Amino acid sequence: MTLERRNGRLYYYRSVRAGEKVRKVYVGAGEFARICSETDILQRTGRRAQRERERAELERLEGLLAPLEEFSEAAKVLVIAHLVDGGYRKRKGEWRRARRA
Amino acid sequence: MSEDARDRLTELRALSEKAEAGDKEARKELRQLVRASSPEVIAEASGIARRAEWMLVKTISAGKPLMEEALQERMHQMRSQIAGENPSPLEVLLTERVVAGWLLVEVLEDLIAAQYQRDVTAHRVPPTHVIQQSRILESATRRYFAAIRELARVRKLQAGTPVQVNTQVNILQG
Repeated sequence: MTLERRNGRLYYYRSVRAGEKVRKVYVGAGEFARICSETDILQRTGRRAQRERERAELERLEGLLAPLEEFSEAAKVLVIAHLVDGGYRKRKGEWRRARRA
Repeated sequence: MSEDARDRLTELRALSEKAEAGDKEARKELRQLVRASSPEVIAEASGIARRAEWMLVKTISAGKPLMEEALQERMHQMRSQIAGENPSPLEVLLTERVVAGWLLVEVLEDLIAAQYQRDVTAHRVPPTHVIQQSRILESATRRYFAAIRELARVRKLQAGTPVQVNTQVNILQG
C-alpha cells in the first residue's frame, strides 16, 4: 500500500497479489486517496492486534497444559518403574506378569 | 520439578527399559531406586499437580470465591471417590492425575466456549485459530482418558483380576 505525492497531488495504490506476482492497483487521488490510506492503516492495525490477542490466548491455553504434561510424564515413568519392579512386562501393548524361571 | 527429581526419573526410565529387556543387574538397581526415591518423586510430582490445579481453579473461577470453593470441594470428593479406601502411593498419584486432567478439560472447554459467546458481528474467529484450540483441547482430553486407563490398569494388576475399562463421553445437544 503506498500513498504517493506527485506534483503536489496525492495518489494511493494498493498491492494485490496474483499468484507469485504482486500488482500495484490504483485506488484514487487527492482527499479520497488520503481517506483510503488511513482506513487501510486502521484495518491493518486492527487485524494485527486481533492476531496478537489470538496468539496470547493460545499461549495461555498451552501454559495451562504444560505443568500437567510434566506431571503426566513423571507419573508414567513411575508407573512403569513400579510395574517392572513388581515383575510385570509389556507384551503386545499389554502388561503381564512375567513367568518365573 | 527439581533437577534432582528429573535425574531420578531419567534413571528410573533407563533402568526400567533395561530390566524389561532382561538385565538382572538393572532389575536389582531398579528395585533399590524405586524403594529409595519413589516416595520423594511421587510427593514432588503430586506437588506439581496441586500447583497446576490451583492455577486452573483460579482461571475457571475468575475471582469468584464461591466458584473456587465449589471446585475445590468437587475435586476433594473426586479424589476420595476415585482413590477409594487405603490407596497405594501410586494410586494416589494416578488419582491426582485423573482429577487434574478432568479439571484441565473443564477449563479449556470453558475458555474456548467463552470465545464463541462474544459478539459475533465484532469479530469472527479464524478457522486456523479454532483448529489450534481444538488441538490443545484434544491433547488434554487424550491425556485425561489415558490417566483413567492407567489407574484402572494399575488396579487390575495389583488385584490380579480382570477389569473392563469403559470410557463414557456425554455430548450435550442444543
